[in-house]
Amino acid sequence: MKKLRISNKRIDDDLLMKKRRAELDKWPTGKEVDFDEAVAYQKSLPDSKIWWKVMTKLREEGRMSVFPRAGTPILEKMIELCQGLRDSGVVLIPVTTDSYTRLGQYEKIEEILKECYRTGKPLLNGYPIINHGVKKTRKLIESIDAAFSPRGGGGEIAIASGMTTWGGGIGFLGFGSYSKNMTIRELVERSQNGMRLVGWYADRGVILCTDLHGWLPSAPFPLSVNIVCLIIEAVTAAEQGQKALYPLVHCMGNMAQDMAWIRLAPRLIREYLDKFGYKDTMIVGVCPSQTPLFPVAMDLGGAFAYLTYISMIGALSKTNAVDLRSIDEGAGVPTREANTMSYRAAKWIFDVVREQKIEIDVKDVATEEKVTETEVRAILDKILELGDGDIVDGTIKAVESGVLDSPWSPNVNVKDKVLGVRDVKGACRYLEFGNLPIPNEIKEFHRQKIAEREKLEGKKADYHTAVRDLWSLSKGKILGIPPYNQ
Amino acid sequence: MVGTTKDLGEEWIKGRMPHPETLRFAQGDRAAAHIEQIHKLFKGEAMKRVPTVITGTVGMDAHVIGTKVLSRALRDAGFKVVELGMQVTPEEFISVAQETKADAILMSSLYGMAELDLKGFNEKRMEAGLGDVILYIGGNLVIGRTDPKEVEKKFKALGFDRVYPPETDTDAGIEDLKKDLKAKGKM
Repeated sequence: MKKLRISNKRIDDDLLMKKRRAELDKWPTGKEVDFDEAVAYQKSLPDSKIWWKVMTKLREEGRMSVFPRAGTPILEKMIELCQGLRDSGVVLIPVTTDSYTRLGQYEKIEEILKECYRTGKPLLNGYPIINHGVKKTRKLIESIDAAFSPRGGGGEIAIASGMTTWGGGIGFLGFGSYSKNMTIRELVERSQNGMRLVGWYADRGVILCTDLHGWLPSAPFPLSVNIVCLIIEAVTAAEQGQKALYPLVHCMGNMAQDMAWIRLAPRLIREYLDKFGYKDTMIVGVCPSQTPLFPVAMDLGGAFAYLTYISMIGALSKTNAVDLRSIDEGAGVPTREANTMSYRAAKWIFDVVREQKIEIDVKDVATEEKVTETEVRAILDKILELGDGDIVDGTIKAVESGVLDSPWSPNVNVKDKVLGVRDVKGACRYLEFGNLPIPNEIKEFHRQKIAEREKLEGKKADYHTAVRDLWSLSKGKILGIPPYNQ
Repeated sequence: MVGTTKDLGEEWIKGRMPHPETLRFAQGDRAAAHIEQIHKLFKGEAMKRVPTVITGTVGMDAHVIGTKVLSRALRDAGFKVVELGMQVTPEEFISVAQETKADAILMSSLYGMAELDLKGFNEKRMEAGLGDVILYIGGNLVIGRTDPKEVEKKFKALGFDRVYPPETDTDAGIEDLKKDLKAKGKM
């Protein structure tokens, strides 16, 4: 096979600067950004506001922080919200933008913002960072002693405001989970054109961190495709100049699998980063994430239990961050009280369990790790074969042929030929393999596990089983034997 | 010489005979309808009408699993489904409903902004002549913990016939739809 490489179309600096200014010109607040001043401002930030440094310190000290979701439109309320988070021990604060910001509907937002300030009500489902601009957002950053990360949007305004994360590679999250018509080629182009920014800042001594999501598994589905995508995201980010990153690991609820994946993801990412020659790109931690469907708004007990489970997994796996939603997740924008309670619960687990540095050896973890590792390597080998050593080219061909695939994607260009169901222990198995290049012995393993469930339920596992399994964590019953309401 | 009515029908279906003899004296529209009825009878088609339903997630919302699961359940139940997926504008729902002469629109929304998205929707759909179309909406329709009855009132005021909370069983929704369609004589 030819040397491992990444097709890299690095755009020249002149073109980059023009594109940056053009993007900022889309709304008047863009004028508040001066590129050199932004660099100086970033360099003036204390360590406690620099994301990669905060994560590294947490890990060195054996501590954890919740990495929540937080965004509300009125600035003063947002400051209050974030202060509440900080008081609960959260040192990694997201600034979650609203849905209209993510789609560039700034004029619409301006009108709604006026309403928000007039009525005092949060009419948007996040913080409209572009409309607020740099000056206002710096007020937020400067009021609280924590590191900030823009979620869902924010562009240069986010960096100039003092936020210290920036995505720098091919992002499957947007493609597989949030886009309808984007093709994989368009995703690659967008990523490569737009992401040179992180390298530009790195060249000037500013290290922005990124979290990697992979292709979000929106249903019970083994994490192998996701982990392959984490690796692709990592190497393409490193190629654009990313020096600090960490994976989110989407926990599915089966403890053996969740712990196995938390161990596996950073290990394989490190291996491939090194293989491709990015030895100086740091993996600053691992972050278990609370991803599957959340309990309904009225089920506070379920909400607490779910976030506690994820905190526990993080503590037992000795991670340094945990991506949690508050108990208000099903209800909308969390109140200060809800956040305080939720993250207090998580912090209790961190401070009581994590500190014990438990060496835990759950029986099936090794098996799950081996199975997923075999699948990941098989898919990656196929991708590199398709691309003749070029991972980007291989990725494009893989998505187009279903070698990379995920169930129930909103994107019309995804094959959607795969499906997952849970087995008798709630572990995620492949019901339909689609075109995933999984070795036969592994396929047999999945089939056997599903057969056990079929025996228990007395019926064949099919599409309807997969649908029932969508509610395993939201309804709080991991094994899909009906009825749920008894 | 003309054979049996059955032979007549077959020849006619195969396009080898313009009009059955018997209909020579039928008049205008009635003739056309009559011909269609007989046509269908000979082809063995059911007389039952298959309703058309449009599904999709409204506004900027990118959630799609609920609407996909619902669409498949509707198809399995025998409906003709026009599946629009995510991020469907209210205007698109209206124009597709006009094009397909849809009987019902089943909207999903999970990101809490449905009220904003559907401002003025009822007036627009009335103007477009879709006053008779059945409208359902389901999901996380508001931001915050609100009494489901309040949410129902709010969306009925926006023109919806039925409003469903999250985790509604698709079968229940489909039963309601059949009831409502039968009441309008569309099924």
